[in-house]
Amino acid sequence: MEHYLDLLSVLMLLTAIMLVSHKRIRSYIRTFRLQAVLIAIIAGFMGMQSLVNEGSFDILVICAIIVALKVVIIPMLLHKTFANVEDVVEKDFYLNIPILILMSCVLVVFSYFTLSGISALNEGHVNLQVVNAFSVILIGFFFMISRKKAIGQIIGYLVMENGIFVTAIFSTHGMPFIVDIGIFIDMITAVLIMGVMVVQINDKFDSININNLRNLRG
Amino acid sequence: MATVTYLILQIVMVLLFAPLVNGVIGKIKALTQKRTGAPVLQLYYDLYKLMRKTAVVSDVSSWIFRVTPYIVFATALTASLMVPVSVEILPAGNMLSALPGDMILLFYLLALGRFFICLAALDTGSTFGGMGSSREVMISSLIEPSVIVVIFTLGLISKSTSVFSIMASMAHSGTSFVGPVTILLFLAMLIIVIAETSRIPFDDPSTHLELTMVHEAMILEYSGRHLALMEYGAAIKQLLLMTLMVNIFLPFDLLPTTGSGAIVVALSLLIYLAKMLFLALIIALIEVNTVKVRFFSIPNLAALSFILAFLGFMQYFVLGRS
Repeated sequence: MEHYLDLLSVLMLLTAIMLVSHKRIRSYIRTFRLQAVLIAIIAGFMGMQSLVNEGSFDILVICAIIVALKVVIIPMLLHKTFANVEDVVEKDFYLNIPILILMSCVLVVFSYFTLSGISALNEGHVNLQVVNAFSVILIGFFFMISRKKAIGQIIGYLVMENGIFVTAIFSTHGMPFIVDIGIFIDMITAVLIMGVMVVQINDKFDSININNLRNLRG
Repeated sequence: MATVTYLILQIVMVLLFAPLVNGVIGKIKALTQKRTGAPVLQLYYDLYKLMRKTAVVSDVSSWIFRVTPYIVFATALTASLMVPVSVEILPAGNMLSALPGDMILLFYLLALGRFFICLAALDTGSTFGGMGSSREVMISSLIEPSVIVVIFTLGLISKSTSVFSIMASMAHSGTSFVGPVTILLFLAMLIIVIAETSRIPFDDPSTHLELTMVHEAMILEYSGRHLALMEYGAAIKQLLLMTLMVNIFLPFDLLPTTGSGAIVVALSLLIYLAKMLFLALIIALIEVNTVKVRFFSIPNLAALSFILAFLGFMQYFVLGRS
């Protein structure tokens, strides 16, 4: 059981690193969807565990919400938003991709050194799952600041949220139900608002490059 | 005596099945594209035909050009002796330590062959040769860090860098590639194998388009039996790397039966062929589903491979759990 959760957390970290190496909008959305599937599997595992041990359905319900929201609705919304925005490939980065990949590896090492000091998380050995999940938060944040297009910011935000959810579920075996629901509703609202704003930005500035937002338009 | 049997069996298996791998991968690719494709045995026919033809050697070339095909073939065949097609074909026990062959020696024997291919490509002074060898050297130097990290991580896991010990310890512990550490090493190794055998995201083996070819550009000047030896050497190298991969990451050939030796060996060879078919399927599907990347995007894949290997190392060594 622990073995499979370890494997899933590693795969989730892997999707985050794959995301950093992509530069097409469709690949971003596809990789995000893959990550969401992995998170749903993790939540399903945890949910079955808590159903057997404590008889509570909470995490299984959350798993169903993840499948509906992150695997189906949000990728669909993103596809719809970016269908009429012209750029499909990101061409310029602040750093080139190999360096971005190496930096995300440094982030994993950093999160290991940060988390290895917290003795409450670690029972004798360092908690591999929490390290991987925490690295996903950092990599999502790093992805956000490494991309110039608005889609990068949205996907980075969503990946960060994934990381926070999985860190929470690995370290506490499930947050209170109402907190998770609140986060999901916040997230879908954020994606809707950002989608609307991207279309607006694209109309006003003819591109979604955030560097152009420094220019003033009357 | 056992060593002699092993060597004979190993050489026969390698020589017999090396050209088949290309045929199988080509056939799978053709079937996924709804073509009939070349027959599975195509490379055997090609090699047979090329062997009977005289080799044309440019008169401005030096001895390096003439000696390279033999070096490439010899290094590939020597290296393949270190990678048993099945751990069952060696009798267990005291023989384990007797089989020499270190992972590092294995990869640098292959590098020796590559070094001579690059020299021979420069030797004739053709522009394609120079271009091809410069690209080949770039790819191989980019992929080398991840090769080293994968070797050392596997060495740490099985407490030895001998190829046979690594395979045997993986088989005894029963770890397949579905594990937190091994999945990372498996994917890193997959990228390494694709790069080393010059397959699609890195190089396209089926084209002679001057803008993209890497391996083909280097052997462009060869003909006749020299070309046959080069092709055969490349096929053996490919079989060797794939064997390394299936026997380390899919170690299911340790049979529980204690029947007579010959039956166990035959069964394990059949399992070996099935595993190779599985890996060939993976590689063929990757080839169908991706395009050859732009040459300057190759560092991305190499960096990804290195990161996978490094994370595998970290998850094993620093986090102390496999």
